[in-house]
Amino acid sequence: MSVVKEFTKGFWQELPPFRLVLGLCPTLAVTTMAENGLGMGLATTFVLVFSNLLVSMLRKLIPGKVRIASYIVVIASFVVMAELLLQAYWYPMYKALGIFVPLIVVNCIILGRAEAFASKNPIILSLADGLGIGLGFTISLTVLGGIREILGSGKLFGAAVMWSSFEPLGFMVKAPGAFVCLGFLLGLMNIISRRRPAH
Amino acid sequence: MRDLIKMVVVLLVICTTSGVVLSYVNEATKAPREYQYIKFVQEPSIKAVLSDYDNDPVKERLKLVLGEDEAGNPIEIVVFPAKKGGATQAIAYSAAAKGYHDLIEVMVGVGPEGKLNGISIMTHTETPGLGARIVEPEFTDQFAGLDLETTKLSAEGGKVDALSGATFSTVGVITAVRAALEEFPQIKKEIF
Repeated sequence: MSVVKEFTKGFWQELPPFRLVLGLCPTLAVTTMAENGLGMGLATTFVLVFSNLLVSMLRKLIPGKVRIASYIVVIASFVVMAELLLQAYWYPMYKALGIFVPLIVVNCIILGRAEAFASKNPIILSLADGLGIGLGFTISLTVLGGIREILGSGKLFGAAVMWSSFEPLGFMVKAPGAFVCLGFLLGLMNIISRRRPAH
Repeated sequence: MRDLIKMVVVLLVICTTSGVVLSYVNEATKAPREYQYIKFVQEPSIKAVLSDYDNDPVKERLKLVLGEDEAGNPIEIVVFPAKKGGATQAIAYSAAAKGYHDLIEVMVGVGPEGKLNGISIMTHTETPGLGARIVEPEFTDQFAGLDLETTKLSAEGGKVDALSGATFSTVGVITAVRAALEEFPQIKKEIF
């Protein structure tokens, strides 16, 4: 049961950008389009799952004093791997995400999960945690990107979805639009969870 | 003391493993990465500088070795031939030179007489609105029909008008194109 719990908590109770309010830099920067949000989310999930796996495997071997350094090496290795794989098999996404792929290294969600969860829990639970949080992050980024793409350019995943006379709000695809959109989603989530108190 | 040794050993093992695994991934993804670069960065430029051909220049690309550099390493160049009815009409290849900020990579299309078919800027990091205007057709179109003799600034007796406010970027492009054209006689021997 607890595997399921660790997996599903990433979708609501600890939904990364909204509940943990961590990892905001890529959340705000790359979500100009749903597709970019999806790509960023998947790259982060890849790194998160494997770094959680390795940190959990090595948790009894790594001495406490050098644990952060060790985690960073593990995380950085998977980030470089993700970057090489994107470059080799999904080049347009690699171009669209640019500097934000190498910057996954400093995404606090990943180091946060390694330190707060994977270093204290067995492998299966850590994998479930990484996958849940990662997919929650992916969904959040895709939704945020989708809203901004629909309002900002009248499209979703590159296909026109709005009526023809729709005037795109250029503001939404710029940086301030990201803050406004994130704020509204955070507020919406707070309203919903107040109606349905967490147990 | 034992703690210290353990810390050093653990970090050493983690870093070494990471290095080995990454170099393996780097090797394993080398071919697809090269392919993606050609497909998404070079192919649009190749299509822009070649015209009137019926083959696939990317598929029929050739790797030529043009002598050696000072360190004794071979200088390699990839040439994309445009053929019609089996005869090579023109070739495309790239060269780079420093612009205002960093390298400007230029794809040139050259005919058998050493005249430019056209040029296309593949990558650059010039200032938006100033040097970045080197990618605009108004600028690149002036290179069509030029040869090594005329690829100079008009102020120096050539036929290229500098972009106002972006002389360094213009000179960067000219330098890259000239470097490409200087290699042409050697490439010509191998291709035409």
